Amino acid sequence: MSAMTAIAAVELRRFLRDRSNIFFVFIFPLMLILLLGSQFGAGSGQARVAISGPGSALAQALTAELKASGIDVTATSADAARTDLSRGRTDVGLFLDDADAEAFDAGKPAELDVVMAPQSSGQAVLQQVRTAVQSVGLERAQLAALTGAGVPGEQARPALDQAVAQVAVPTVEIVDTGGVGQEFRGLGRFDLGASQQLLLFVFLSSLTGAATLIQARRFGVVGRVMSAPVSSGQIVAGQALGRFAIAFVQGGFIMAGTALLFGVDWGSLWLSGLVLVLFCAVSAAAAMMVGSVMDNDSAASGVGVGGGLVLGGLGGCMVPPEFFPETLAAISFLTPHRWAYEALADIQRHEGTLADILPQLAVLAGMAAALLLLGAWLLRRSLNRAL
Amino acid sequence: MHGLWTMVANDLRQRTRDKSVFIFSLIVPLSLMGVLSLVFGGLGEDTVDLQPAMVVASADDADQLGAALLGAVDSLQIMDVTIKRVPAADVRSETEASGAALGIVIPQGFSDAVLSGQAASVQLVEGNGAALETGVLISVVQGALDQFGAGTVTAAAGAMSGLPHQDLPALARQAAAGLPLLTLTEGQAAAEQLSLRGTLVAGQAGLFLMFTVGFGVLGLLAEREQGTLARLRSMPITGGTVITANACTGFILGVVATTVLLAAGSQLFGVSFGSPIVVAVLILSVATAATSLTFVVARLVRTAEQANVAQSILAMVLGIAGGAFFPVQGTGFAATLLDLNPIGAFIRGLGISAGGGSLGDVTGPVAVMLAFAAAGVVLSRVLPDRGAQV
Repeated sequence: MSAMTAIAAVELRRFLRDRSNIFFVFIFPLMLILLLGSQFGAGSGQARVAISGPGSALAQALTAELKASGIDVTATSADAARTDLSRGRTDVGLFLDDADAEAFDAGKPAELDVVMAPQSSGQAVLQQVRTAVQSVGLERAQLAALTGAGVPGEQARPALDQAVAQVAVPTVEIVDTGGVGQEFRGLGRFDLGASQQLLLFVFLSSLTGAATLIQARRFGVVGRVMSAPVSSGQIVAGQALGRFAIAFVQGGFIMAGTALLFGVDWGSLWLSGLVLVLFCAVSAAAAMMVGSVMDNDSAASGVGVGGGLVLGGLGGCMVPPEFFPETLAAISFLTPHRWAYEALADIQRHEGTLADILPQLAVLAGMAAALLLLGAWLLRRSLNRAL
Repeated sequence: MHGLWTMVANDLRQRTRDKSVFIFSLIVPLSLMGVLSLVFGGLGEDTVDLQPAMVVASADDADQLGAALLGAVDSLQIMDVTIKRVPAADVRSETEASGAALGIVIPQGFSDAVLSGQAASVQLVEGNGAALETGVLISVVQGALDQFGAGTVTAAAGAMSGLPHQDLPALARQAAAGLPLLTLTEGQAAAEQLSLRGTLVAGQAGLFLMFTVGFGVLGLLAEREQGTLARLRSMPITGGTVITANACTGFILGVVATTVLLAAGSQLFGVSFGSPIVVAVLILSVATAATSLTFVVARLVRTAEQANVAQSILAMVLGIAGGAFFPVQGTGFAATLLDLNPIGAFIRGLGISAGGGSLGDVTGPVAVMLAFAAAGVVLSRVLPDRGAQV
């Protein structure tokens, strides 16, 4: 085994033996992907309406109509509904009372109390509630019109039912312009979150791992290795390879774990793997830079956490970059995350081929090479620096 | 007492000289607030009001129901709508190019089809931005079509029931556009939520508070590792005084950092948290809860490095579950569990305060934080000290 691979193997062994890594490197990313998928994943943003009041024909009719519009309806008490509204746990609350139910049963007008949650989604849901309430009211108006025109009450309902079966009513057909909405169509509940968190955590863990490089310098490990017939170039390459191996183990674990546990579709595995390899190379090189420039391992951890989260956020790992304003979207291409995100999106969503993602791969390779050279130069310089 | 304050002053001096305290307590959270504010900015306006919207539409001028449909959209009271008429073939491209919220294509002969009970479909083209306004407009169109359909169905039912043919149009109109039987009276919900940017500022302040107070306890473990704790014990100072000094250091660092973060965050991102007194009580409560938790950590670990990892795990789990990065909703037992989270209680308290709440209104969140602190203190007394066994 060459000196370089021996150093890399030691780094990887030390990492895997440290039990404190288990949570942040392996468990936490999967927990976060599960949480993000359950909160924001495809099919999660369902509108919520709480209906309070006595069980009545009115409550049943409104519940059925709202559910038919795809709204999640819960029956609850008035107090619980108000609490849920103020806490943003429901979008709209409908407060029915005995008088409303009696008026509805008697075919008389009724005024229903409705309260919208103080959040932006409340407005859209309130409009859906208006439409549903109007629709329930329409049925009564139809019966009233028929009986008013002389149709006996017991005949009006069957006649309406028969007419509904025979007459076509106007419908809406919704198309989109192929914009943001279309971009995420077909993605599984956890697919988007998995690719975002993969990039966020591989880079974040690599940067925070820079502290071990500082410790190796501080404890004189690097100095002692250099007393053996090992060149500084081999040490630099070995350290970089070690960090790369750690990043790849974590990335591979997240990809395999999310595919097995959450059914995430990574598209072509060898292409996704290739993106991961290059992204890990960039991450390892960035860690080399931080570990060489800084001398305080605790401060380096802070920079690693902060830098990892900030760059991840800018690179589209927290909010999909498709939602970024124009300037921010342009800035995000300065981060490796954005290029890797684009490549993974191409593979996951559009069955992208190697030719399709070649530009992204080239940029990632260029970033890795530039950072690696800079990191190696900085590490060589740091070895001569007193800590 | 003098010894306590000497130790606190010394600890604070040491911590403020340590770059990592500043990085974790101020620089990282402020940077994250900035970046999150930028990236979340693209998800929509930080307001509950609907923005003015443009609708691109094509309809035959002579089509009565088509005109009524566009009239219903145009006369919407809850938002300002501008309708731009274009030929049917251009609706899709114009909706995309102009950034309109919705495109509406009303087919030729729409009225005739609807009135004769034949299938008719209105095509809606969703705009790229303004998802909220688009959703509202789609619902309005759907409501208008429901009315047209109700009229047609009623007329058909009337014909089946043997009503005279000439009475049917009036019957249809009466069913579709008669006085609504159900009307809505809109009320107000008490606002207990922060705006999007307010949540980001409060959430990051709460999350990084967990790291900041940890520096106090880490000091205790570092003193144990370096042997200064043993030397302190050889002096006429009780063990409790040393622990209290570390608690005070963590608490003071936490209170100062959280105050600076909330003040800087509200200035930089234009959010208000309401009454300073209520905010101060909330900061003191959450700092107490966070400090007590660090003592549980101190009992469970052997080294400062282990404490660092354990503290980070608790900070991230409690911070994320509390809503530091995005609101986390739960139902049933999960909702109760989320309610007991001190970071969540802190954000909720700030939401109540921002909505004009007084000290009395934040009793719930403050009680949660103080109960959490009390539980932490009790637990730290009961748990065996693993570090002392080294």
